[in-house]
Amino acid sequence: MKLAPQSIPYRALQKVSGVVLVIVFVVNDSARFGTLPAVGLAAAVLAVAVTYEIAYYRRFEYELTADTLDIRSGVISRREREIPYRRIQNVDVSRSILQRAIGVAAVDLETAGGSETEGAIRFVTPEAATSLQREVQRLKRDTASADGVETAASTAPDEELLFEISPRELALVGALSFDGRLIGLLVFVGSGSVPVVSGLLPDASAVALSGVVVAGIGGLVVVSWVIGAAVSFSNYYGFRLSRAGDELRYERGLFRRYSGSIPVEKVQTLTVTDNPAKRALGYATLTIETAGYAPGQGGEGGNQAAIPIARRDRVYDLAREVESFGEPAFARPPRRVRWRYGIRYLIVVSVLTGVAFGVDRFSGVDAPWYAAALLLLAVPPAAHLQWRHRGYWLGEDHLLTRNGFWSRSVKAVPYYRIQNVIDRRSLFQRRWNVASVVADTAGTSSLVGDDAAAVDVGTDDAIALRDALTARLQASLHDRRSRETGFEWVDAETVSPDPPTAVDGDSDVDGDADDDADGDADDGAVRERE
Amino acid sequence: MTTQRLHPRVRIVWILRAILVAVVLSAPVGGAAYLEFLPLWAPIAVGGVLLTLGTGHAIARYRRWRYEIREDALYLDRGVITQVRTTVPLVRIQHVDSRRGPVERTAGLASCVVYTAGSRGADVRIPGLTPAGASDLREELKRLAIRAEGEDAV
Repeated sequence: MKLAPQSIPYRALQKVSGVVLVIVFVVNDSARFGTLPAVGLAAAVLAVAVTYEIAYYRRFEYELTADTLDIRSGVISRREREIPYRRIQNVDVSRSILQRAIGVAAVDLETAGGSETEGAIRFVTPEAATSLQREVQRLKRDTASADGVETAASTAPDEELLFEISPRELALVGALSFDGRLIGLLVFVGSGSVPVVSGLLPDASAVALSGVVVAGIGGLVVVSWVIGAAVSFSNYYGFRLSRAGDELRYERGLFRRYSGSIPVEKVQTLTVTDNPAKRALGYATLTIETAGYAPGQGGEGGNQAAIPIARRDRVYDLAREVESFGEPAFARPPRRVRWRYGIRYLIVVSVLTGVAFGVDRFSGVDAPWYAAALLLLAVPPAAHLQWRHRGYWLGEDHLLTRNGFWSRSVKAVPYYRIQNVIDRRSLFQRRWNVASVVADTAGTSSLVGDDAAAVDVGTDDAIALRDALTARLQASLHDRRSRETGFEWVDAETVSPDPPTAVDGDSDVDGDADDDADGDADDGAVRERE
Repeated sequence: MTTQRLHPRVRIVWILRAILVAVVLSAPVGGAAYLEFLPLWAPIAVGGVLLTLGTGHAIARYRRWRYEIREDALYLDRGVITQVRTTVPLVRIQHVDSRRGPVERTAGLASCVVYTAGSRGADVRIPGLTPAGASDLREELKRLAIRAEGEDAV
């Protein structure tokens, strides 16, 4: 199958529009040349780009074979790529405003291997994109079943709507998505104006200066809040999540439309996050994570939220729909760690007070530096809250961990997704006789150190937890294997006349279809010839 | 397999590394002393302290490092300031490398790197093995990983 013909001019312009603009402005403005050479040069560049894109269009071909998606591409160096369906993790479609106007869509196919997108199809018509998405899902299911030509599985499963964002929730997402990092950015950008402001206030009294500072900080908070609200509003506009067979499908976006599919089989971790505002209103966010990649991470805030916001009980219901982890009863760390947190906060407050004192002493600004010491009052409650919001729970099939008292996240990791178990004890943790146990998965957020972790568990509990996690991983693997094999045997007897081959096929399939979807990074998720 | 320790010569590799770090870090102090911003003993003191710390760390690290292949997992215990105990289930092993860096070659040592699909502990390195020991360990882990996989598939 070919790309959409509209993609030729679009791709060409996308590549060289910057260069063309520069040429027009620079050459046109220079005295030696003039408008004519500028236009000529720009036209030449455009012509080269269009020619290249025509060649690219003619050379680009994708094909859905019985068990692989083949992509042949490349003008100068040719590349043939075969992606087995069962290795495909997500299929995402995105369309920016301009792409919607000319009727094209970008399709991205992800496997667990590699950090980049393995199959990028730029661009096809929206209809072709959707049918590709559906077709890949169907073929994946077929190859996953023992022999791949079963007729019953070929019919598309019904799509069941799980969640659709209501205007009220959308407004809440906007209002509650306050991103502290934006303040930092704005301060950085705005720091250039500080000399200007201080120039305007030559004989500023301390009070006036503090007033300006307070007003400035207030303004920053408001501006960053508005920006954050606008960004998440446009990100989650028209969000809907549905389930079709063994796949979750989502759609979202105001300006740039995203749609994608998340295979339930490949889910690594579920994360439910909230912050004090969301907790007070009874709302929470659900994030679903698959291996090596986060859906919609294409720059738009790196979000992979499955449910941007919903009532807490609804979020938990939806999470249980994906991974039935039951009703968690978290075990908190030992009470003594509250002292550890208290001391930690005490150090932070003393440093802050010290800095304030230093500024007061050496800059000549007569600010009430001792005000920073008032934060001392907040230390005991903060330490207590941090302790209160930590915990872990060993469910029947899942490890649940809970961390963070401001932005709190509850993570559910199925035992059979665990890759490593790491038990860490820093110098300070050893003093308090506690340890942290991290369950490492192949999920993405663990790349940024956001693994499911039982933090500051008593040492004995940590050892027990570590052993329990490895034991339960083995048990669950064993469990799944025997269940799969049992299932395959029944299947083989009813469908295939030749059971031994079916079993052979199974031992080959199982490595991936069940548990280490995560793990296939290296065993040739993508076959490639160049 | 009982608990294994590293080859004692690995201390030499680590101490050499500590010397390098000490030299690099005390170089600016040395420069300052040369330009007479600092007294002459400053670089010597800084270098000495860094060297002592580095050497102490290397020795403590060697004393602490242990690994063991248990029935269904590779178990590592290491780290001086933050103690880290990693359990790598054998089924999760993706591939195993044995490798020899230039410093390791001069000391006649090699290391073995175990890869999993996990992201934090994606590669676990066991340093301080003899070249033969590293290949043996690699083969052993490969065999065990395949066996673990095979057992489960049945």
